[in-house]
Amino acid sequence: MSARTGRARNRASAAVLFTVVAGMVGLSFASVPLYRLFCQVTGYAGTPKTDNVAASTGVVEQTVTVQFDANVNSDLPWRFNPADRGVEVRLGEERLTHYVAVNLSDRPVTGTATFNVAPDGAAQYFSKLECFCFTEQTLAPGQEVTMPVLFYVDAAMADDIDARDIRKITLSYTFYRTDEGDKNKPKTAGVAAAAKPGGNG
Amino acid sequence: MAYAATAGHGEHEHHPTGWRRWVYSTNHKDIGTMYIILALVAALLGGVMSWIIRLELASPGIEYVTNIQFYNVLVTAHGFLMVFFVVMPAMIGGFGNWFVPLMIGAPDMAFPRMNNISFWLTAAGLVLLMCSAFVGEGPGTGWTVYPPLSSIAYHPSAAVDFGILALHLAGAGSILGAINLIVTIFNMRAPGMTIHRMPLFVWSILVTAFLLLLAVPVLAGALTMLLTDRNFGTTFYSVAGGGDPLLWQHLFWFFGHPEVYIIILPAFGIISQLISTFSKKPVFGYLGMAYAMSAIGFVGFIVWAHHMYTSGIGVNARAYFTVATMIIAVPTGIKIFSWLATMWGGSIEFKAPMLFAIGFLWLFVIGGVTGVVLANAGIDFVLHDTYYVVAHFHYVMAIAAIFAMFGGFYYWIGKMSGRQYPEGLAKIQFWIFFVGVNILFFPQHFLGLAGMPRRIPDYPDAFAGWNMVSSVGAAITMAATLMFYYIIWHTFRYGKAAEANPWGEGATTLEWSVPSPAPFHTHEELPVISGGGHGHGHGGLKPAE
Repeated sequence: MSARTGRARNRASAAVLFTVVAGMVGLSFASVPLYRLFCQVTGYAGTPKTDNVAASTGVVEQTVTVQFDANVNSDLPWRFNPADRGVEVRLGEERLTHYVAVNLSDRPVTGTATFNVAPDGAAQYFSKLECFCFTEQTLAPGQEVTMPVLFYVDAAMADDIDARDIRKITLSYTFYRTDEGDKNKPKTAGVAAAAKPGGNG
Repeated sequence: MAYAATAGHGEHEHHPTGWRRWVYSTNHKDIGTMYIILALVAALLGGVMSWIIRLELASPGIEYVTNIQFYNVLVTAHGFLMVFFVVMPAMIGGFGNWFVPLMIGAPDMAFPRMNNISFWLTAAGLVLLMCSAFVGEGPGTGWTVYPPLSSIAYHPSAAVDFGILALHLAGAGSILGAINLIVTIFNMRAPGMTIHRMPLFVWSILVTAFLLLLAVPVLAGALTMLLTDRNFGTTFYSVAGGGDPLLWQHLFWFFGHPEVYIIILPAFGIISQLISTFSKKPVFGYLGMAYAMSAIGFVGFIVWAHHMYTSGIGVNARAYFTVATMIIAVPTGIKIFSWLATMWGGSIEFKAPMLFAIGFLWLFVIGGVTGVVLANAGIDFVLHDTYYVVAHFHYVMAIAAIFAMFGGFYYWIGKMSGRQYPEGLAKIQFWIFFVGVNILFFPQHFLGLAGMPRRIPDYPDAFAGWNMVSSVGAAITMAATLMFYYIIWHTFRYGKAAEANPWGEGATTLEWSVPSPAPFHTHEELPVISGGGHGHGHGGLKPAE
């Protein structure tokens, strides 16, 4: 092995290793969309089915109580509540319910909602056909809107040994602001940003 | 012999002197020496911080560290310093640089200039980290830097940004160093030095380098997200913008768990060399040892969430991570049994490095057993963030690694400096240090089981007794540590000239075939390694005449 070919071989090896490093940095950023995809596909961590959901295929006698929960991030000047506290549905039965949102500020504000289902085991059977959370919502000053959710709990849950004993499912939403509103200051840090002279430090 | 010719040859080459020799250095031995000096400086800084922590914890109440954020900064800086600027530079940068090329019969590292920038990036990282303590409120986040505590809301000054950039620099240095080591080990072994003949220290560095290559970029990515969250309004870790602080925990521990193996694997390698040398036997089960390290490295990447049992992950995830974590005990057990089997029937010489190797086994087994306890998600719910965890990881990884470093230092200082350490003083230093660290950390198991939380400078009176014992242990440890620095001075001032091989027939690896101190250039004419059993065997490695 001459010195020249040895050096070329070293360079080639190093190039491969640098590619691995770049790949791992990329993966750390890609973990966000990858994890989201994983949850949507498997219902992991209470992620309900929202993509390409087909209409319910069958209804069985077993019932389950679906409770509705609503939260608003403090940066969003809205009131947000479910119209019903909870409903009892048969597995497979499609049901329409509503949430009500009011813009309490004097400016139009845009927000969107994240959502989650508890307990985790029910998530993969919780199918949303229609939901306000699929898109951003913009409310005019003082505007009140009624936002529909069309869902069903898949009848297959009655056959899942890990999920068939579930009698109560909670569907939870958290609305947060997505428009320009507070872009210039860190979103969680209203107090600290004010206390810190000189902006970014 | 080969090196006799090269020593004369080397003098004709460009051989910088004065400060240029060090700052511009492309020589693996000089760079290794600089890494070891860096580690010695950082160890003193990190050590002083830990002694201040133990002073404050000696008795209940806030007595000495009256600024509690400063206590948080001390805890944080102690962790960062010891992990990134003591153990990693000493083992990988120091011993790795010095002895990987010597042991595989290579003239130097594959990329000498990259080797230089690796070191100086690490040194710059150390400076930045020390600066961070003097900016604003200082980084009081713990070495885990969890948001939201590390977010701009709770650490509004630039201190955490300094810390992030310090880790970026040290991380970049580590990645470059890892690439250099892998290329060197894969491409530059002397003829006959096959992968399965490499000494186990080289194996340990190879596995460690791969862990660095795969884990540190993830830390870099996670830190970059934290930096942009703090300064540019992104919301990777902020729920308000659709992010999730748990993302940090997953990314951090995907790096952080392999990181603890990055720290302990080179220690495994050093201990294998020590036990083989001083038992005058080849390592028992050489291939099993090599592949046990590889297995530990692999499994290390799929157990990270055992640091997150109480973060709300699902019960099935906890069950998986419990089982996966316990599986690590299998390859680790292989290593412990192989070390004992190496000693079994050997003609053991209890020189200071061997004492440290046996001390390592003691500490590592105790820490390993408590690790299996903590691997259980159910038990961890009770013990999470208590002093039981502090005791566990100091035993299994921190102090165990320090024992391997002391052992390696005494083992190799003759080769590195040309002067042999004082045997009697080193043995005394071992015993004081061994007694000290056990008094220091063993009672912390009791404190943790009784429910004392980590990272808090005050505690109820009920914990006073064992905390005082622990602090007395810290004082003893401090005495032994300072004695180590004295022994270094004593070695350079009064040390006897070291022979090429001061250890006799047990020391069969190639570094003992060159003179002590190792000349500036070694193995310029490649040694040829004869067959005859695995690389660690008796007389398996002989430089060609």
